[in-house]
Amino acid sequence: MTPAQFEKQIEPRWEKLEQLLNEAEKSQPTANVDELPATFRQVCHDLSVAQHRMSPQRLTQRLNALAIRGYRVLERRSSGGWESFVRLLLVEFPQGVRAEAKLFWWCTALFYVPAVVMAAFTPSHPEWSMALLGPDGMAQIEGMYGEDTSPGEFMRDKFGSNFAMFCFYIWNNVSINFKTFAGGMLGGVGSLVVLLFNSLFLGAVAGYVHYSGNPATLYSFVAGHSAPELTGLVISAMAGMRLGLSVLRPGRLERRAALVLAGRKALPLLIGAATLTCIAAVIEGFWSAQNFAPTIKYAFGAINWLLLAAFLFFSGRGQTHAT
Amino acid sequence: MAAARADTLQSVELADGVEIQLRVAGPAVRSMAYTLDLLLRIVIYIVVGMVAVFLLISAIGPELTGGLMMIFIFLMEWFYNVFFEAGPRGATPGQRRMGLRVMSVTGGPVSLAQAVMRNFLRVVDFMPGFYLAGIVCMLFTKRFQRLGDLVADTVVTYADPPPVSTPSVEVRAQRRAPPQVLTREEQAALLQFMERAPLWADERRIELATLAEPLTQAPGIEGLRNLCGMALWLQEPEDKRGTPPPLKGAPLFRS
Repeated sequence: MTPAQFEKQIEPRWEKLEQLLNEAEKSQPTANVDELPATFRQVCHDLSVAQHRMSPQRLTQRLNALAIRGYRVLERRSSGGWESFVRLLLVEFPQGVRAEAKLFWWCTALFYVPAVVMAAFTPSHPEWSMALLGPDGMAQIEGMYGEDTSPGEFMRDKFGSNFAMFCFYIWNNVSINFKTFAGGMLGGVGSLVVLLFNSLFLGAVAGYVHYSGNPATLYSFVAGHSAPELTGLVISAMAGMRLGLSVLRPGRLERRAALVLAGRKALPLLIGAATLTCIAAVIEGFWSAQNFAPTIKYAFGAINWLLLAAFLFFSGRGQTHAT
Repeated sequence: MAAARADTLQSVELADGVEIQLRVAGPAVRSMAYTLDLLLRIVIYIVVGMVAVFLLISAIGPELTGGLMMIFIFLMEWFYNVFFEAGPRGATPGQRRMGLRVMSVTGGPVSLAQAVMRNFLRVVDFMPGFYLAGIVCMLFTKRFQRLGDLVADTVVTYADPPPVSTPSVEVRAQRRAPPQVLTREEQAALLQFMERAPLWADERRIELATLAEPLTQAPGIEGLRNLCGMALWLQEPEDKRGTPPPLKGAPLFRS
């Protein structure tokens, strides 16, 4: 068979595939669409034959483009919509955290230990915290958590309304989560830096309020949203570290493959962390700024911590692993 | 076997067993697509900002407007590319304009998870400025992948096959068998040479044919003639007779 004969022989098939793909891509399924997979395989076979016989580039390139197009249509899948998103949050996210429990506890320790040390150290030696916070930071803290001020009113003054506060928290805090994660790509260094900086800053604020303000206002303000917000940050750093560690210690895998696998493992963690931060933003915007009695706020905060811990430890247990 | 390839084609085996070739796109064209997207984003920001200032503020008040704008900026910053790349076309408007498409390395469409991953890592690719890390990474990977592409397992390819101009000139040469066994790559090179030779000037043809002098055993125009003859022989080993070309490839092409 000469190349010209071959071309003539396969032409009707590829024209049929082209037509079927045009229909399928417009997502108007016709009766003919059933024939798509078979026609696609046939054209794939023709492509193999054409490649083997060193057919002219014009022919192979055209079949190649058709095969790619067909593959895209056949492999097209809906992302699963809300159902798979809920599954990701309720099952894969806590499963992912538990699967990397060691990493989680390391990140937790790296976050809380420096903060506690800094906070304990500041009342007697406030210079470090002062250097870290700067004059503006100190002024803001005194405006928020001073002797007789209310952080809720301070923030409302700054942003105008609870809703604007909530939006700002979403934009700012979730962006920080994403950046923390991305920083992990640099061998984990980026995530660690963000984690440590936030830890020290948190410690400095707490310590400085003990030094010059009214700690009760601080704790009653942050109690409600502390659980999801801090855990969200820790887990996004953990997702970043997952990436970074796969670069540093790929184990038995090739580095590139290790990176791809780590990315797949890190994604549920990142989405979960971002969701926790969004929850924190809701609480911070609409609950923490209200003037309830401190006891109510502490109780609410404690309940949140318990709920979050229970969620991370128990949710999705016994469910089959992600497919 | 050629030591290094001069083109950017990347072979991928599909799940159906067939090998396809992806034409991956390099930093230059991707930068252009990015710039187009950037301009489009700026236009969107300006339009939405105008709407917000002139309509929304009087309708729902400045606080609500400010809040909504922050949410909008957040979504545009992080999800503009994700939205388009995970969509049916697999390309942002800028990429579409430049004829590019994001694909999974396996040849399939990009999933939502992959789109999220490759775009969230833009932060590192951007470091220390102007996507320097991403461009350096692209230059060191054979599929022009930036860091985000590496993690998400994606490539940016040209969406359409390159335009092929087919000269309809009949090559006249004496059909002759090659004096030695040719590998498949060599056969392909010969066939492509004959396919494209009519597009070049005589000097260029002769220059290229001279490279194959060990095969043609003749310099200059004579070598070119021999080369074309061998290519014709590869196309149709037997004159007009219906024997199909041997499928086993190289070993059967003996002189």
